[in-house]
Amino acid sequence: MDAFKLMKELRVNYEQEAHYLPRETGLRLIESTTEDDSRISAKCRDAKVEDVWSLTSFFGYSTQTFVLAVNLLDRFLAMIRIQPKHLSCVSVSCLHMAAKVTEEECNLAPPVELIRIGQCRFTASDLCRMEKIVAEKLNFKSKAVTALTFLDLYHQIALSHCTDGKEILSLEKLEAQLKACLCRISFSKAKPSVLALSLLRQEIHAVQSEDMLEIACHIQRHLKITDAELRLWSERVARCLSDYSSPECSKPNHRKLQWIVSRRTAQNLHSYRTVPELPTIPEHCWDESESEDSCEDVMSSGEESLSSSLGSDAEGPYFPLHLRRQHLHA
Amino acid sequence: MLTCNKSGDRMVVDAPNSNGPFQPVALMHFRDVAPAEQEKLFIQKLRQCCVLFDFLSDPLSDLKWKEVKRAALSEMVEYITHNRNVITEPIYPEVVHMFAVNMFRTLPPSSNPTGAEFDPEEDEPTLEAAWPHLQLVYEFFLRFLESPDFQPNIAKKYIDQKFVMQLLDLFDSEDPRERDFLKTTLHRIYGKFLGLRAYIRKHINNIFYRFIYETEHHNGIAELLEILGSIINGFALPLKEEHKIFLLKVLLPLHKVKSLSVYHPQLAYCVVQFLEKDSTLTEPVVMALLKYWPKTHSPKEVMFLNELEEILDVIEPSEFVKVQEPLFRQLAKCVSSPHFQVAERALYYWNNEYIMSLISDNAAKILPIMFPALYRNSKTHWNKTIHGLIYNALKLFMEMNQKLFDDCTQQFRAEKNKEKAKSKEREEAWIKIENLAKSNPQLQHDQRKERPMVRRKSELPQDIYTTKALESHRRADDMLTTHDGL
Repeated sequence: MDAFKLMKELRVNYEQEAHYLPRETGLRLIESTTEDDSRISAKCRDAKVEDVWSLTSFFGYSTQTFVLAVNLLDRFLAMIRIQPKHLSCVSVSCLHMAAKVTEEECNLAPPVELIRIGQCRFTASDLCRMEKIVAEKLNFKSKAVTALTFLDLYHQIALSHCTDGKEILSLEKLEAQLKACLCRISFSKAKPSVLALSLLRQEIHAVQSEDMLEIACHIQRHLKITDAELRLWSERVARCLSDYSSPECSKPNHRKLQWIVSRRTAQNLHSYRTVPELPTIPEHCWDESESEDSCEDVMSSGEESLSSSLGSDAEGPYFPLHLRRQHLHA
Repeated sequence: MLTCNKSGDRMVVDAPNSNGPFQPVALMHFRDVAPAEQEKLFIQKLRQCCVLFDFLSDPLSDLKWKEVKRAALSEMVEYITHNRNVITEPIYPEVVHMFAVNMFRTLPPSSNPTGAEFDPEEDEPTLEAAWPHLQLVYEFFLRFLESPDFQPNIAKKYIDQKFVMQLLDLFDSEDPRERDFLKTTLHRIYGKFLGLRAYIRKHINNIFYRFIYETEHHNGIAELLEILGSIINGFALPLKEEHKIFLLKVLLPLHKVKSLSVYHPQLAYCVVQFLEKDSTLTEPVVMALLKYWPKTHSPKEVMFLNELEEILDVIEPSEFVKVQEPLFRQLAKCVSSPHFQVAERALYYWNNEYIMSLISDNAAKILPIMFPALYRNSKTHWNKTIHGLIYNALKLFMEMNQKLFDDCTQQFRAEKNKEKAKSKEREEAWIKIENLAKSNPQLQHDQRKERPMVRRKSELPQDIYTTKALESHRRADDMLTTHDGL
């Protein structure tokens, strides 16, 4: 697409994006909820989004599927109050719905697989019903304008203006960063166009390209995004990305997951650690006075060593003389 | 009265009713003689038990006298267990002699297949026919050794290196009950006779060397390793050089042998004990295991994975860093193994908290090694259980560091695209060649109509010598004449 068409496309999406924003009041409610069994909290939602990302990655779905799934999820949660125990079903439904519209038929994982791998407790029919509910409530057909839409457009625009754009600005990297931001519920409050622009500027800043910066400003003016709004979200994005890029590794919790193995392996695992029956024989520091001699003899054969190592323990013939004599008398 | 007129030789009782040189007589009970006479009676009973009976070729012979011996042995077991100060100095040589006469024998050749063909789960071991007596002799000797009155200083005149060597030779017995007694007996001897320890260790080494490098057959490796486990457990620190050499030259090569499954738990225990004593041995041990890693024997691979996990359970973080890269490269191969038990066992490492913490401390080095194997198999492995475990492993990696995970994903995709591009390039090159060939003016154009492929019998060139040899061949029967009586 040429530059003019891209800008037009940009405007069109900008006008539509408000439709696809989750209700701010709903999001605030979630953010303010403390850990509770009856309501979804921010922590709860964030953990679930990470699970959705795990599934996306495992099944090889695109980032677009993920972003769309999160969009549906946030919109739904902001609108309808659900119990935490249903969150799993809702999130997987959103993922499946997003995958159906984004992915190719042949790459689509069947619902049963999703449930099995995701270690979910509900059934495929539950999933189906939930999908219908979500689709109905959100009036979802197949499309949504998300931050990724804008990111994609921005990237294309940048490329059309710079000849070596591809080497400088990596869409894959930007997508990964967007994904990192979406794992925190606070970023769902941002307007997708602003969030995407913040990410773009952050990356441009990192690669230090003057040309790109100009393009970014151009886009900002075109969409009439205020400096204040942009600065606000840029700061938040910067903080998030610095956390994301930190080389620190946290210790994961393996206990949350189910570990199913075959029967044979399970048997093998438990019977392996044998408890020794024989009590320990402590080594005395003075007992092995011969060990220095025998060290070199480690490779020698039995006969040789028998004669050579009759040191302090010189043994007589097997049957001592006095015994032999006794036998003759009895 | 019983006489043993040939010292040290095996003596077999003649058939009953024959006029043999000696007539076995049932001796009195201990309780029926005065304490002053008990020592003498004890010696008599011991000597009586030096008579051997035939259980094998004639099991029903001398039933009465077999019972006399059995009762005498049983009585003596009770006698030394429940009485103090009955093990006097004259008793020692008699006991040792009695044991030697009964036990030290050439083991019969095995009727079972040897080496790797012997399946300890399937093939029945040949049990010792004389067990009713042998068991009691073992029992008695053990009580003798364990008695509070037992004095090693006196016994060491009789329990010497030759005795120990013959005892060790018995470990090759096929009867597991016998080996069990031998194990306990040798364990006690090692504990009490400090002067024999070096000799015992050396002789055990020789047995192992012969086993690893010559015969690959010995029935008692597991029992010997069990004894060694209790010895290693008691090593003083710092470890002597001799012991370290033992680990590297004997214990590690024991992993090579085909029949590893028979003694692997005991071997693994010994190795882990060594590492708990001296963690600087970790690197050579792990590198040796990786060197001996089975390439085609999957059950053995599972055993190695079991052992490796036990080693990792006790590894020092500083040692872990030294071996992590080759270790995880091997694990990546195991995870990709089409044998589902191997893959499962390797993936189950991710359920080990300590291993996970070691990995998370070194994720930057480890994740790039593991990721391609895991990610590739999430799609291609045939086994569904493996998929679930791979998901867990990937998820845990993701939780460690998202960015690292994303970088690995991007790199994986980039590699894949490169491969695709390369194979496309290759194909295009072939098509180019094909087209070039088609446009060759020298190509015959009347080959346009496709002639059906006709099969022609191929004619081999004739060789004069071969033809002659085939003609003049005669069968062996024609040339050899049979001789009568051969």
